[in-house]
Amino acid sequence: MVKSRKPDRAFLAGCVAAALMAGAIDAHAEGVLAGLRHHVTLASTIPDNGDLNPYAVFVAPATVGKLHQGDVLVDNFNNQSNLQGTGGTIVDYNPSTHALTLFAKLPQTLPQCPGGIGLSTAMAVLKSGWVIVGSTPSRDGTTATKGPGCMLVFDANGELATVWSGSHINDPWGNMAVVDNGASATLFVSMSGYDVPGPSTIDPATGVPVVVNKATVLRIQLAIPTSGPPKVTSQTVVANGLAERADKDVFLIGPTGLALIGSTLYVSDAIQNRIVAIPDALSRTGSAGTGATVAKDGQLQRALALCATPDGHILATNGKNGEVVEFDPVSGKQLAAQWIDSNQAQSPPGNGDLFGLAMAPDGSGFYYVEDDVNMLAKATP
Amino acid sequence: MNDRPPVGRLARVLGSMLLASLYAASLSVGARAQDSSQPPSAQPADAAKPADAAKKPATDSKRVADSKKTADGAKPDAASPAADQSGEFVETPVGPAAAAAPAAAPSAGNSAATAAQPADATAPTGSGPFGFLNNLGHSANLFGDMWGLRTALAKYGMTLSVVENSEEFGNVTGGYQRGFAYEGLTTGTLQMDTQRAFGLPGGTFNVSALQIHGGNLSASNLGTLQTASGIEADRATRLWELWYQQKFGDSFDVKVGQQSIDQEFMVSQNSGYFINTMAGWPMLPSADMPGGGPAYPLSALGVRGRAHITDNLTLLAGVYNGSPAPNNNGDPQKLDPYGVSFPLNGGVLAIAELQFVYPGPGTLVQAGESDPLARTYKLGMWWDSEDFADLRYNTLGQPLGNPANDQTPANHRGDFAVYAVADQMIWRSEDPDRNISIFARPMFTPLQDRNLVAFSVNAGLTMHEPIFGRDDDTAGIGVNFAQVSSGATGLDQDTAFYSPGVYSPVRRNETVIEATYQYEVTPWWQVQPDIQYVFNPGGGIVNIYDQTEKVKNEAVFGVRTNITF
Repeated sequence: MVKSRKPDRAFLAGCVAAALMAGAIDAHAEGVLAGLRHHVTLASTIPDNGDLNPYAVFVAPATVGKLHQGDVLVDNFNNQSNLQGTGGTIVDYNPSTHALTLFAKLPQTLPQCPGGIGLSTAMAVLKSGWVIVGSTPSRDGTTATKGPGCMLVFDANGELATVWSGSHINDPWGNMAVVDNGASATLFVSMSGYDVPGPSTIDPATGVPVVVNKATVLRIQLAIPTSGPPKVTSQTVVANGLAERADKDVFLIGPTGLALIGSTLYVSDAIQNRIVAIPDALSRTGSAGTGATVAKDGQLQRALALCATPDGHILATNGKNGEVVEFDPVSGKQLAAQWIDSNQAQSPPGNGDLFGLAMAPDGSGFYYVEDDVNMLAKATP
Repeated sequence: MNDRPPVGRLARVLGSMLLASLYAASLSVGARAQDSSQPPSAQPADAAKPADAAKKPATDSKRVADSKKTADGAKPDAASPAADQSGEFVETPVGPAAAAAPAAAPSAGNSAATAAQPADATAPTGSGPFGFLNNLGHSANLFGDMWGLRTALAKYGMTLSVVENSEEFGNVTGGYQRGFAYEGLTTGTLQMDTQRAFGLPGGTFNVSALQIHGGNLSASNLGTLQTASGIEADRATRLWELWYQQKFGDSFDVKVGQQSIDQEFMVSQNSGYFINTMAGWPMLPSADMPGGGPAYPLSALGVRGRAHITDNLTLLAGVYNGSPAPNNNGDPQKLDPYGVSFPLNGGVLAIAELQFVYPGPGTLVQAGESDPLARTYKLGMWWDSEDFADLRYNTLGQPLGNPANDQTPANHRGDFAVYAVADQMIWRSEDPDRNISIFARPMFTPLQDRNLVAFSVNAGLTMHEPIFGRDDDTAGIGVNFAQVSSGATGLDQDTAFYSPGVYSPVRRNETVIEATYQYEVTPWWQVQPDIQYVFNPGGGIVNIYDQTEKVKNEAVFGVRTNITF
């Protein structure tokens, strides 16, 4: 049962908070998509080392170190040979100067990170300037050689400070939901790597790689000292049993998007093509299993990243076409879909091109990445 | 004509493809074997590595048991981590920022000094001089990083592409003669993003070169108007394109330099899967533009502008030298054998194309509506100011078909044609990867006195993922038709009339049916078997080896392979 939404005392960071602060988007009953139909290409996301395949998008909430409030951070999942799970760069786009700079770069192997480095859609920037990003690594670009990866903590100057690993961290994959109180924070991260066999292990019943129902969503509580990197104070699995599998084209399919509204966490279950709700996600002490389905099929086509809108709706990027879908998580009603990547070189247009998504903090639209052309783009009124 | 035994060449190519396929199969088997050692229910080897690492000597890492750790302190079951709230956590300070960190302390009362040793220091499989061999099954490029070259180029915002197209095609019926020929093309392209190179936003510099090798089946055996393969050309090593493109916002960009306009004009995405030349640069401009037009393997100096009028409408327009060759007297490829003549002495070729794309960025689909089926429609026109010779009459208005008449053809100033391109998806399965599209490209010129082809059209149907699970494969069936102009037909009729003792068939039209299947072995390697059947080759021409009869209909078989290095 999904509980009704209620205001939370915590400051909601990320896309939700940013949108609430500004409120400039016309949040009429039909949703925001109808008012955000102009698309602007902002910058190439390819850094000097040629890394490709932009995944995570997150807007910096404060000016600290190299970061300026409103900067858009994007990480790359592939190296310059386009091998998935081998990218190690985060780039920083400044909307004021339109400049794109390298924020951080890691080698493909990092001893502290099991399996190496392949930066995923799991990324967050805290008000204190700490940047936390997940690694879902592969040694050869396929899930056959993937490792469990880790969570990497960078300071505001892009220097790696801490690496988190452990049994609850296994291929951090989807975009994070974040509650940032300054001195403490709560992160939600989906883990999509547990016992996933390689893409050539085919389920004879379906003809596609074997599906394993072991993906989880992990809640990480952080204490953030005035000096020094965040410390993990507790970890709680708030959802488990979600579907995950390897894929020869898109590496891994599993729960990819997370969005927190009130205390309810919404999770995109890409394989089941649905959105599930995890109630009391901020306070629960145990797992809600696979949660309750709030939206399924319809305009959703392998839902990936999620982002909450100012009026409590959720945007979901589609993996199977170039659309973003808006739906009301309470009623489950899908409001509309909009093609934000219509590249007809894919069939259907934009197929496999979308991933990360974030609301602009000034309420001027939403940012997204197009991995077919390695560009950061923005939807505006 | 290639002087090597055709059957031997075919056997060699097929043999090499077989060996390559066996190698690919061994990769696949290897992968399966690896996978089978890790059944879904088993703990994967990598998941055990953190625990293994924890056995190593402790230095500066902190392993923190979760606050919900089980009361008995039992080691968590890593094979079923999901609902078990207990679990191992390793926090490893790294780098200078860690120095500012307070002493690591467990948050929940359980801590252990742990290993700073690598949890998994396994090197990437692509490292080392032969590391690329380990990534053959999934890399986008055969040679991966190309031993550091691509990384070095990336620092300057440059990307390098090298692609080899090799094929063995032959006709088993009809034609001047029967036989097979190997045809090959290597294309090297270097592009620079000026923003990444030196901070100029929106700029792209492009240079490409061609190495054309092998034979030319259409010239030696087929005699077709619509040549069997789009890569057939004179053997050469030549510059292809050399241009700079500058974007001005998202709405407008300009390209200046030596350009091959088949890369942007008259392009049908679905037609591009086919191998016959007609599927790429169409028959009408190939036959009617001076030198065949600035299209592979040729190009011309010019300026092209592109304006995105709306999210769905784009106007593409360009002005180029009237011919890709220094003059129009002979084989244009031989007149500019290296592609570096940069002629500007001809007339002007102007071309414009209005493109409608749906859905475009911003297209809204209301709840309850089904997604629109993707479509692209284009309307275009070209005009060339050069001089064009009359096909049928001399300067005195007498038939050129009469050998007694002066053979200086009448001259015409200028030429033009109109065209349309349509790509339309017509079916999409529940899984949208699997879909069917149709396409058509008709084009026409009313100036039949100076053009060999008055009308051409190619149309067909393509299906993505024709075999379930083969979502990177495409199958297609298409038909190509070329109508010879009344000027050329009239010349043939005059020739037959004035030379009654000579067999002189009258050219009318030519039709080609093609079926193809593009099979993706790996992202860097495609194999494409192809069948074509040609009705009335050349529109109806005499067989040069038996001048008492027309070239008979041709059944053409072949295999192409595309390799991206």
